[in-house]
Amino acid sequence: MATPKSEKDLHLPLSRVKTIMKSSPDVEAVGPEPLYLVTKVTELFVMDLAKRAHKNSNANFLEYKHIADIVQEDDTLDFLREIMPRKITVRQFKEMMAKKAAKNGDDSSEDSSEDSSEDSSSNNEQE
Amino acid sequence: MAEKLEDLNLPLTVVTRIVKEALPSGVSISKEARTGLAKAASVLVLYVTSAATNIVKNKKRKALTGQDVIDAMKDIEFDRFVEPLGEALEHYKTMASARKSASMKKKDEQEDAEIIEDD
Repeated sequence: MATPKSEKDLHLPLSRVKTIMKSSPDVEAVGPEPLYLVTKVTELFVMDLAKRAHKNSNANFLEYKHIADIVQEDDTLDFLREIMPRKITVRQFKEMMAKKAAKNGDDSSEDSSEDSSEDSSSNNEQE
Repeated sequence: MAEKLEDLNLPLTVVTRIVKEALPSGVSISKEARTGLAKAASVLVLYVTSAATNIVKNKKRKALTGQDVIDAMKDIEFDRFVEPLGEALEHYKTMASARKSASMKKKDEQEDAEIIEDD
């Protein structure tokens, strides 16, 4: 399809956006006009988020955490919090788990597995 | 509902292009950041679609319109996109009617050509 590329043309593939829209429950017909606008706002949103994250980064290297920080701090981006959690190191995770286990220390001592390992009792917690 | 999982993702190359155009040249973006933005974009499509669909249902209509998408921006507190989307809608309508009159004109010209050849 030979459509002339003007600066106002969209980058994202309309068919893919349409597939995503139709996977939403309760959606019936998706005509070309709303499809165009949803695609447009998605592009605007990505640009906006990238710019804000870049400002957050103070450098010439944009990383995941710069974006995750924005998402966690801006309440209008609450819908993204589950898919863009702040990431922590394994050590931080272990420390968190150890704290949690210490708190639940009284409960876990009733389990029989406490003798099986040299690690702390947090081992008997399921993931 | 035979959608493959990839179909619900937006292409990473395209998302990268959008991000690069938005940022000053020379900024590099980690792969994790790009993937994160691509996923965020997919989720946004669903989020906006859901908000617009709610509006349509409240108005007891079925088919989404462009205006519903714009109205949804206010509901989800994305007021900063209302104006650019309004402009985009105007642009879209202009393009759509230009395309329509261009194809009608083409059709007329084809018919004229056939009349001339047909002697």
